[in-house]
Amino acid sequence: MASSNIYAGLEIGTSKVCLVVGEVRSDGALRILGVGQHPSAGVRKGEVVDSETVQACLHDALVRAEERSDVEINTVFLSVSGAHIQGVNSRGAIRVPDGEIGPEDLDEVKKKCREVQVPSENGFIHSIIQHYYVDGQAKIVNPVGMLGQKLEADYHIIHGIKTRIQNSIKCVREVPLEVEDIVFAPVASAQVVLDRETKNRGALLLDIGGGTTDYICFVDGAVVASGSVGIGGDHITNDIALVLKVPLARAEKLKVTYGSAWLDGINPAEKVPIAGEGSETVDRLLICQIINARLNELLTLINNSLAFDNILGKTAGGVYLTGGSSLLTGLDDLVSDTFGLPVYKGGSSSMSGPSALFENPQYATPVGLIRYAQLLNEQRPRAGAISKIGRKFEKIFGLSR
Amino acid sequence: MIEYSQSQNSNANGGEDLSFKVIGVGGSGANVLDRLALEGSDDAQLLVLNTDIRKLSSSVSSQKVQLGATLLKGMGTGGDPDLGKQAAIEAADEIREAIRGYDMVFVCVGLGGGTGSGAAPEVCRIAREEGVFLVAFTTLPFEFEGARRMEQAKDSLNEIEGYANAVVTFDNDRMGELIVPKDGVTQAFAAADKIISQSIRATMNIVSKPGIIRIGMDDLLTALNSTNSRCLFGYGQAKGDNRALDAVDQTLKCPLLDNGKLLNDARNVLIQVSGSDSMTLLEVQTVMKELTSHLKSDAHVLFGTGTDPRLGSSLSVTVISSLDGDEPEAASTPQLQREVAPVTPDPIEQSPLAAAVTAAAAAAIGEATEIAAAEREAAPVEIHVEQPAVATGETNIVQLEKEEEPAPVEVAQASPAPAPAAEVPAAPVEPQPAQPEQPAAEYSTPAIESIVQMPQFSAPEAAQEPMITNPIASAVQEAAAPVNVQQPAPAEPQQPQAPVQQVAQEESAPPIGEPHHEAPVPAAQAPERVEAQTDQAQTIALSRIVPGQTTQRILNRPPKEEQAPVAGTPKVTPMPTSEEQLEQQQDILHLEPVQSKGRFAKGDPTIIDGEDLDVPTFLRKKG
Repeated sequence: MASSNIYAGLEIGTSKVCLVVGEVRSDGALRILGVGQHPSAGVRKGEVVDSETVQACLHDALVRAEERSDVEINTVFLSVSGAHIQGVNSRGAIRVPDGEIGPEDLDEVKKKCREVQVPSENGFIHSIIQHYYVDGQAKIVNPVGMLGQKLEADYHIIHGIKTRIQNSIKCVREVPLEVEDIVFAPVASAQVVLDRETKNRGALLLDIGGGTTDYICFVDGAVVASGSVGIGGDHITNDIALVLKVPLARAEKLKVTYGSAWLDGINPAEKVPIAGEGSETVDRLLICQIINARLNELLTLINNSLAFDNILGKTAGGVYLTGGSSLLTGLDDLVSDTFGLPVYKGGSSSMSGPSALFENPQYATPVGLIRYAQLLNEQRPRAGAISKIGRKFEKIFGLSR
Repeated sequence: MIEYSQSQNSNANGGEDLSFKVIGVGGSGANVLDRLALEGSDDAQLLVLNTDIRKLSSSVSSQKVQLGATLLKGMGTGGDPDLGKQAAIEAADEIREAIRGYDMVFVCVGLGGGTGSGAAPEVCRIAREEGVFLVAFTTLPFEFEGARRMEQAKDSLNEIEGYANAVVTFDNDRMGELIVPKDGVTQAFAAADKIISQSIRATMNIVSKPGIIRIGMDDLLTALNSTNSRCLFGYGQAKGDNRALDAVDQTLKCPLLDNGKLLNDARNVLIQVSGSDSMTLLEVQTVMKELTSHLKSDAHVLFGTGTDPRLGSSLSVTVISSLDGDEPEAASTPQLQREVAPVTPDPIEQSPLAAAVTAAAAAAIGEATEIAAAEREAAPVEIHVEQPAVATGETNIVQLEKEEEPAPVEVAQASPAPAPAAEVPAAPVEPQPAQPEQPAAEYSTPAIESIVQMPQFSAPEAAQEPMITNPIASAVQEAAAPVNVQQPAPAEPQQPQAPVQQVAQEESAPPIGEPHHEAPVPAAQAPERVEAQTDQAQTIALSRIVPGQTTQRILNRPPKEEQAPVAGTPKVTPMPTSEEQLEQQQDILHLEPVQSKGRFAKGDPTIIDGEDLDVPTFLRKKG
């Protein structure tokens, strides 16, 4: 195993295709070597709808990333998103045959958990362990070697429509780039936005992107809920364009310049020009009302989907916002109002490299992919159930300088 | 064809509408009926049959019959079809009484259990004995219910197929696939019931409501005909400016169509578009264009459209078809229809040619006079006339169709042969009566009745509408070798009616012989079924069956086509109205639906809790 590993994380977003190259040093520190990005086309609501166009964008991003990082990229970690991706919690139980729990029992119980009922066209993206229970004893992190008769496990299983995910992978492979693994976007973002302590206290990560809003919720350090809603910043722009009857490009500009998600403090008399200096004007309040209505609905939707087991009551860590749309003024007030929790704008933390990169919430997902790759690699040498998964990643080292 | 439908009503029902009865057998049948009652079924009488008195009493249907009251004492059958059958036999009189007098009966049953699998075939048998047109809607059990129940279901289905004019089969496993797995069990079953009740309702509407381009029972049969009794059914209803496309969308979203993918395999597809008077020709065109883009290019589209004031401002689209099963050779039924289907278009095109050919043949013989030609024409006319009669009152004879269907060609032969012979209008009828007399002496009485009826239809109609002959003539040509025609031809002018029969039999032995053989067959079958009935019932059944035979042959050739040439006059009438509507419609822009989605208009909608989230929240909340 090399003393340092280089990974590439690729996010094909609705607004941009972004490829981040990072190096994991032998001491575990992460350094970003370079980023290549290109405005994206052919992606709608987080899903590839025009493969050829996406490949053109991807190719541009790839060339830039290789130039800046001076690395030849062969394999990438790909983040996926889209409203078809859902998370469910599943508990499985097995009887331990020989009284002592071994690694193979963990495999067995995981298999049981994955027997959860999902639509036939869906495939599993992640199976994330929450806790084990041994003979009713709760919240055991590593039961290997313990004595017990009954082993139970809570898994959080993230699944999505197989063919749609395969289409994303196919698109990347035709560039050609090998896809090392696919990662649900907020799972990756959480690796850099939330630190271990925050996860333990409980936190909700909201990644409001261009086409989708993804969320993941941690309680006691384990994933308890995740999902994706097919609404994002593009919808806000679209709403403004439709209501004010202006072109999309203009609507985007109005949103960024004058938009606010929070209506308090907006002067009702304030007028803003619709199409540049000296043109027709519109109430700024109207623009903000359009944005507020959309985001309010979106957040309520997510709040409702988290309304089980009182999990929001257990997220003392607060809500972390990331994704391009989280830059919108007043969003923190609105989120705080909806969830009743403190709100933080999260960039990536604790790594070296161009700081503009990891502080910008737009890059949380691709940078998170690097961290995810690192964690996967760290877990690999460990014996046990994970080694099986890890074996799959032996090829990882196709990345070379 | 407008004339056609009118005459149908007046002949068969004295101007009244067709009357329907929907029968639910067993628990799942009752559920479908409840659903039907819930949605309001003003057209049909509902009847629930069940062995289990508790379930029976909880049904909302207007009429209920308990099966096996003494045998099972109000309990269920415990999954034993034999008990179900016995129970049905015990209540046979009550069932018969309830069915009597209806034109069309739908039987809904969930197969696999005791009551459904056991009683349904009995109910179907009784219904057929009463001479109704019978359509069975069956559901097959889930696979997880086990092989044994599936076997029971299949056995029962086979029996039902023997009795019913049409069988529509829904596969529970497939219905399960169509419903989101997260949905509750109740929702899933409710959705299944809803699909079945919708298809019953659509079927009723199609055959009962008046149409500009009418679809009849024969079209329905063609559409449902396949070795694989699994049915494709789609129904959509929409209002608003963009209702045509919306209705098509909804139709295609119907689970049994699988987004239109399955339509690609369909050979015969029935499409009915209906709306109130506000429906425009453009809308009909839009619907057809959209739907036919999902069909194979050589698919046979049975199209109908009609107006129904009850629809108000909405427009409804119904698609019915069946999946192609095995090769046509596998079963006799499909063979018939498929053969028929191709034949149908031909006659229209060839009709002039056909006439010419016949004329030529006659000329060659040298004996063809104008009179003879006229006679031939008259002969085919009879057949046509009979068709409407059949379609009108007595669609009952499904079995006959299936068995006899090879006959169409032969019948055609027979009819031309006698036709020339018969100078008098009554004459054409004679060859047919002759057939029954010879083979089936036993049934002579009913046969005579039928004969008596036949001339009545044929004589006046033939006189009125000589035009109709073309298609038949063509069919005749194809089917019958010129030789056959020639042989009878000389005989015709010279001999009077009585001799004609003999001559026809003797001289044209090869051509006529075939029809003779087959004709008796149906007659024989009919009585078999009737045996159990009273004398009265017998006569009724028989009299219906006889015209039915001819009808079936006629059925093969789609009625539309006959109508097309004939209906020169009526056709003209609807056209101008639709054009007017079109003009009125033109100032309305179809471009944008009421709620705009901007750049998301073309993608998958994001629908949560029934709201389309791609539409600006601001606009939705304000509205």
